[in-house]
Amino acid sequence: MSTGARQRPALMHLYWWFLFSQGGVIAALLIPVHVLIQGILGPLGVVRVVDRHYDTWVQVLGNPIVKLYLLVLIAVPFFHFAHRLRYLLVDFGMPVARTVPAQAVFYGGAVVVTLLTIWVLLTTAPLSLP
Amino acid sequence: MTAEPLPSPQRGEGQGEGRGYLWRMPAGWWTRKRHYFLYVVREFTALPLALWLLWLLVEIKRAGDGPARYSPHGSTAFVVFSVIVLLFALYHSVTFLSLTGVIIRVKLFDRPLPSGLISLAMFVLWAVASVVIGFVLIWFGR
Amino acid sequence: MPEKRITIKATRYDPEKDEKPHLQSYEIPFYDESMVVLDALNYIKSDVDGSLSYRWSCRMGICGSCGMMVNGTPKLTCNAFLRDYWPQAIVVEPLNNFPIIRDLVIDMEDFMHKLKSIKPWIIRKQEIPLGAGEHRQTNEQIDDFRQFSQCINCMLCYAACPVYGLNDEFLGPAAIALARRYNLDSRDQGLKQRLPVIGDSEGVWECSFVGECSVVCPKGVDPAKAIQQTKLDTTMRFVLPYGNRE
Repeated sequence: MSTGARQRPALMHLYWWFLFSQGGVIAALLIPVHVLIQGILGPLGVVRVVDRHYDTWVQVLGNPIVKLYLLVLIAVPFFHFAHRLRYLLVDFGMPVARTVPAQAVFYGGAVVVTLLTIWVLLTTAPLSLP
Repeated sequence: MTAEPLPSPQRGEGQGEGRGYLWRMPAGWWTRKRHYFLYVVREFTALPLALWLLWLLVEIKRAGDGPARYSPHGSTAFVVFSVIVLLFALYHSVTFLSLTGVIIRVKLFDRPLPSGLISLAMFVLWAVASVVIGFVLIWFGR
Repeated sequence: MPEKRITIKATRYDPEKDEKPHLQSYEIPFYDESMVVLDALNYIKSDVDGSLSYRWSCRMGICGSCGMMVNGTPKLTCNAFLRDYWPQAIVVEPLNNFPIIRDLVIDMEDFMHKLKSIKPWIIRKQEIPLGAGEHRQTNEQIDDFRQFSQCINCMLCYAACPVYGLNDEFLGPAAIALARRYNLDSRDQGLKQRLPVIGDSEGVWECSFVGECSVVCPKGVDPAKAIQQTKLDTTMRFVLPYGNRE
């Protein structure tokens, strides 16, 4: 029996799981209504949705609270997706998905999406306070 | 307390080295039981949801195209895609929010709340959030 | 009245003779509605083929010895009634995810090692003096961990867990549930000693909440719940600003 043990849990895995769980909650609570309204009812013309017309979309996108909301809505779930898809590869018989390089690819991908989202939100629709 | 990997009888290590006909996980293990299959579907929901959010990001970016060139997605193919994504999104929400009842332990007057109650609270939260956001999306579109 | 019969197909594997395990068919009398798969195996061993090897003991669902795959599902064979399968044949195989020693007997060394690794005993920083009497616990304090103390170490959960099947270094459902049993016990002060094992990369984080472990558990331990709660408790410990990071 070994005595040279780690004194702490594997912190990286702890943080991945934390991001996974937060992203999962956000995805569960928020995504369906967006898909229903912006993906189905809006395009079908059943209701007038804010992103169907340029002026309404730009106006709402200028709001800093909306920008913050969209950042949370898009970026955080990507850590959830990264974690789930990484472990799905493990389930399909690819243990390489458990390695550190694989973690870098998947969570790094989520970081890239986060940065991309920040860039898009900052460069589209100038900040206008309500 | 150990930091080294435990000896793996599956690799023929440990006491009685090489003993035993080693186990190999069958490739299609997740097709053999309904519960395993539904688990894989649940995990897979991550992919369609990710794709749809990337679409949303594109939709936001398009607002920078200017009034003349702005054209939101609206094709039949897109609506069909959204319907499929919605089904996966609902499956994710239902499974995830039900399971939060298992994981969250809340005590009231020294007694743990039943897990069903916690899940119910999450579903109520989901309904409220959906109504509020739905309202915002439509109200600001008028 | 014609005698009712049933076919049992059992895995046979003699490491000295066979290249790999194979099924052998036995047709036996189904003479009593209360017969279980273990009764069928005992009949085969005593009346048909004495070379069939398998583990069993109490025959009443408390010792955890007789776990095997019955038609692809991990079950205690003393708890699998023939009447639920008859007239179809019943396939009895050794528990999945473990090496096979012989016939229906699997190598449980890994499991035993893992149970021990989480220190399944009361750990005290300081023992209370003998004169102070026994540890006192309220019913509510026992309720906190009671469910997780019901484990009979039958290994059905390990046979059901695809994560363990793919990666035998995973600590596994029973070991983590047992760790939680002690961590929740008000008499125990050993959480910090167990944390490096349950919080290891091969500990709770490997679990993807398939949940099959809890489905097959014959004692209602709900190891999946134990694992998810451990993930949350461990995470909060390190993420919350006032969490205890040691």
